[in-house]
Amino acid sequence: MPIKSYLAHPHKDKKDELFKALSSIEQCEVIPAENKDLLILITDTQNNFEEDTLKEKLETITSLKLLAMVSGFNTPKNT
Amino acid sequence: MKRLGIISLFTLLFAVFIIVWNYSYQSGLEEAYIPINNNKPTSYFLENEGMEYSKFDLDYANMPFDENHQRTLEEYYKNRAYYGAPPIIPHSVKEDLNIGRNSCLQCHQSGGFSKRFKAYAPIVPHPEMTNCKQCHVPQKSNSLFSETNFKKGKFPEVGVNSALNGSPPTIPHPIQMRKNCLSCHATPSTPKKIRVTHPERIDCMQCHVQSNNNINISELEVFIRKNYTNEK
Amino acid sequence: MYTSVLTDRRSFIKRMALLSAMTAAATMFPGILFAEEQERGLPKNGNLDWKKAPCRFCGVGCGVLVGIENGKAVAVKGDPKSEVNKGLCCVKGYHSVIAMYGKDRLTKPLIKKNGKYVETSMKEALDLIASKMKETIKDYGKDAVSIYGSGQWTIPDGYVASKLFKGCIGTNNVEANARLCMASAVTGFMTSFGMDEPMGCYEDIDYADVFVLWGNNMAEMHPVLFSRMLDQRSKRNIKIIDLATRTTRTSKASDRSIIFEPQTDLAIANAICYEIIKNGWVNKSFVEKHCNFSKGLTNIGYGLEDKFKFKDKPEKITFEEYKKFLEDYTPEKVSKLSGVSVRDIKYMASYYGDPNKKVMSLWCMGVNQHTRGTWMNNLVYNIHLLTGKISEPGNSPFSLTGQPSACGTVREVGTLTHKLPKGVVMNKKHREIAAKIWDVPVENISPKPTYHTVEMFRALDRGDIKFMWIQVTNPMVTMPKLKRYRDAAKKEGRFIVVSDIYPTPTTDIADVILPSAMWIEREGMYGNSERRTQYFEQMVEPPGESMSDTWQLIEVAKRMGYEKQFYYKEETHIEEIYNEYIQFHKGKKHGMAPLEVLKEESGAIWPYVDGKSTQWRFNSKYDPATTKEGFDFYGKPDGRAVIWQRPYEPAAEVPDSDYPYWLNTGRVIEHWHTGSMTRRIPVLHKAMPYAYVELNPEDAKRMRIKTGDKVKLTTRRGEIIMPASVNERGIPAPMQVFVPFFDENMLINDITLDSFCPISKEPDYKKCAVKVEKV
Repeated sequence: MPIKSYLAHPHKDKKDELFKALSSIEQCEVIPAENKDLLILITDTQNNFEEDTLKEKLETITSLKLLAMVSGFNTPKNT
Repeated sequence: MKRLGIISLFTLLFAVFIIVWNYSYQSGLEEAYIPINNNKPTSYFLENEGMEYSKFDLDYANMPFDENHQRTLEEYYKNRAYYGAPPIIPHSVKEDLNIGRNSCLQCHQSGGFSKRFKAYAPIVPHPEMTNCKQCHVPQKSNSLFSETNFKKGKFPEVGVNSALNGSPPTIPHPIQMRKNCLSCHATPSTPKKIRVTHPERIDCMQCHVQSNNNINISELEVFIRKNYTNEK
Repeated sequence: MYTSVLTDRRSFIKRMALLSAMTAAATMFPGILFAEEQERGLPKNGNLDWKKAPCRFCGVGCGVLVGIENGKAVAVKGDPKSEVNKGLCCVKGYHSVIAMYGKDRLTKPLIKKNGKYVETSMKEALDLIASKMKETIKDYGKDAVSIYGSGQWTIPDGYVASKLFKGCIGTNNVEANARLCMASAVTGFMTSFGMDEPMGCYEDIDYADVFVLWGNNMAEMHPVLFSRMLDQRSKRNIKIIDLATRTTRTSKASDRSIIFEPQTDLAIANAICYEIIKNGWVNKSFVEKHCNFSKGLTNIGYGLEDKFKFKDKPEKITFEEYKKFLEDYTPEKVSKLSGVSVRDIKYMASYYGDPNKKVMSLWCMGVNQHTRGTWMNNLVYNIHLLTGKISEPGNSPFSLTGQPSACGTVREVGTLTHKLPKGVVMNKKHREIAAKIWDVPVENISPKPTYHTVEMFRALDRGDIKFMWIQVTNPMVTMPKLKRYRDAAKKEGRFIVVSDIYPTPTTDIADVILPSAMWIEREGMYGNSERRTQYFEQMVEPPGESMSDTWQLIEVAKRMGYEKQFYYKEETHIEEIYNEYIQFHKGKKHGMAPLEVLKEESGAIWPYVDGKSTQWRFNSKYDPATTKEGFDFYGKPDGRAVIWQRPYEPAAEVPDSDYPYWLNTGRVIEHWHTGSMTRRIPVLHKAMPYAYVELNPEDAKRMRIKTGDKVKLTTRRGEIIMPASVNERGIPAPMQVFVPFFDENMLINDITLDSFCPISKEPDYKKCAVKVEKV
């Protein structure tokens, strides 16, 4: 169950757009910064396959300038 | 050719000297005006600054475990009016006529066993602040002027701050003025419950994150309850 | 060992992921914020909600963050964003919220009926006050009613008090406890600069090289600023000089402790000026361009008699005349008088004179509570003016205050008998401005000042005043020669209303006691010593029927028929009042920051011009109100500050064979003012449970007195018995004693002298003659 956190940098003046785009994806949790052009993205997927599809999806978002991973967890399914 | 090289080297040095001298002369002229930094104040205590070892050469890893003279967490909390309050001085103070400084730091800078109090001296996490009695006062009396309704409130508990068996607990308290983790978590005066088992690992915040609802506690008061999605 | 309560691992890991991302974001963008809404799920400690406020206690005005949980204030921490204290408080500030929760908090109005206090409703109490006021005015005239407040009044409290009494009723019987603590600072500023309050700010501490403390035990009284000095000392080479009459924690922490004979600070300041002139350290171009020289009357008396009147007659003099005058103050002569060595006088003068050293002078009650307090203030300014060390970063004569809003309310709103929010009652133009903003006929405002504080209580004794309303202060502990005024208040035919939060010796003399809402139980603003106005919102509910002092006054004003002037709505009255008030100060010289700015920031320093605080006044580099390059002391019509020729004159009462000791009074770090709040904070009370008399160890040895022994102090006003303290908190010089005044069970003011500075009318609590005996 990979859980990862990223810093998402939007293109100029595209913060709202990016927020909407990311929020619409099921596996994503988004926390926008109030005073800076930056969003925190937490992704939570069941397995590596789902993770890969999510990545592809993220890459298609036009308002996203840069996605920098901060931390990632991957633990076995049980418990 | 060699001579030419030496001459050009000296010419170059001379030119550099002229430039440097001119620059320093110019900046000397400007000094009459003190530029005022209009930025927000730099706080004495930055919450998200990295952890510091005590500057005073304590070999924490080799400090004794002295089960007989260990404080309990209850004793540790007892000296505070509320969670986060500066602790009182629980012993009599030799000299009232000073701000603290060396007379307090003698024991509280590096710790050690006090025969007089039969206890290990707790180590101050902010030894650079020397006006100790500004915030810490001894207690001369047990009576009250009048009763109070103020309740102490809850203090953080131990053992409830981790996710899993063995996962690193989060930091349940603010770290303003308490940047030096080891001064409270790895000395002989440390209550058993909050003693760290691995003082040799320096970067505490690598594994222990602050669980106070924000990274920077100082920013809290400016939080405005906003529902981002409802905006425009 | 680890028994996890977090059953949902997944969400915990998510939180960890979020936290590390936030940490990373914060290192990239310092100060980044994330909406609270998004953080619901994060583990918290309780539900603490941190809100900003200025500290309730002293005039430093630290920014604090108050932790609120379930509607109660439960914790305090320093506000790291505050430019005043940068996150550090003192022991009083850290425990301040406990002061709201004493068990004996007043929660219901009490009316005295047949010698007993009877609980009543707020409505009935306010009706009674209004009708009593109307009746008194009808029978004895408007100057028979009075109000006495303090520097603990918020800005709106003081403003409505002034509007009601000066504007509507038409009496100048408005005074405040601040008369007892910074009136000399005000008259000092007015006579030297024509405008009140310091030209510099606390940031001067970060630039100054030398600090001279004039009778100011900062380590205990202004500990946060003192720590800021110590912090500088650990970073740069600075010097702290403690010039005092008593050895204190400040003396011990300073680089040089200089002890002088009481009252001789006047001579020492003149000797420093003498040395500056003699050694050619005068900043000639500064003095020629920006200063005048003046002298005033001498032998001006001590105000000991009722209805004492004094008016100074300033007269211009030349530099040569001033120089001649100073010849009486050679270090050698002054050394004999003051007990300070010639070397020490020259040492201080050399720092003031050194053009490469930035010097900050700091003072508070030692200089102000002085029968020549105005002179003493003038003399410190003289030193800074002669050397041109003023109005620039690090060069700063800085007058500190003791109450949270002594500056903001008493000095700026002007709750003193001669003052109006802008200017003075004697000035027709100023009265017209006030009448217009207050919406009253200009004839309503009387052009004649009535009673200053001491005289107001004397008038109560004589019966000239019949009705007095006392808010947020405790005069039955703080008045000098207290017994006379306590007896006065109890006389037949006097009606006293006291608004307070706890029973005190002052509520003991009341006919009506109103329970007040304090500090963050209501909304308001304070103004601190560095001209910084700070706002606080209401954070918790006041107990019982407690009501803010502002609203008490508004309710009474309405009952007296002034609905038109007191049109304020209950929900928005603080905002309405503040917006009305700042109209008085419009302009570059005293503009106040709009309320939105105060709500956002940790206060703003006036003059607030074009969205910016003015940190250094009178200097064209920093102050937009100046009209010429360099310095412009625009408080005076010709833009020049005044260097005053002020001689040494002895104290009102000096030790003699019957009363051979000096008696000095003051404060301790644990208690603030009369202790009615701090003594109800267990930590502070236990640290300092009762008052004591400090003796010099030599004197104590001779009289065989040791710590704890009972000692009787006798002055011409009376006697008091208290425990001795030898070699503890402070060490008075030989033949001097010191007593803190916070303890209502040992009222030292029963025996102090009510002499005052004839110019400022501020009493001298620091000097009278006393007999000391072992009991």
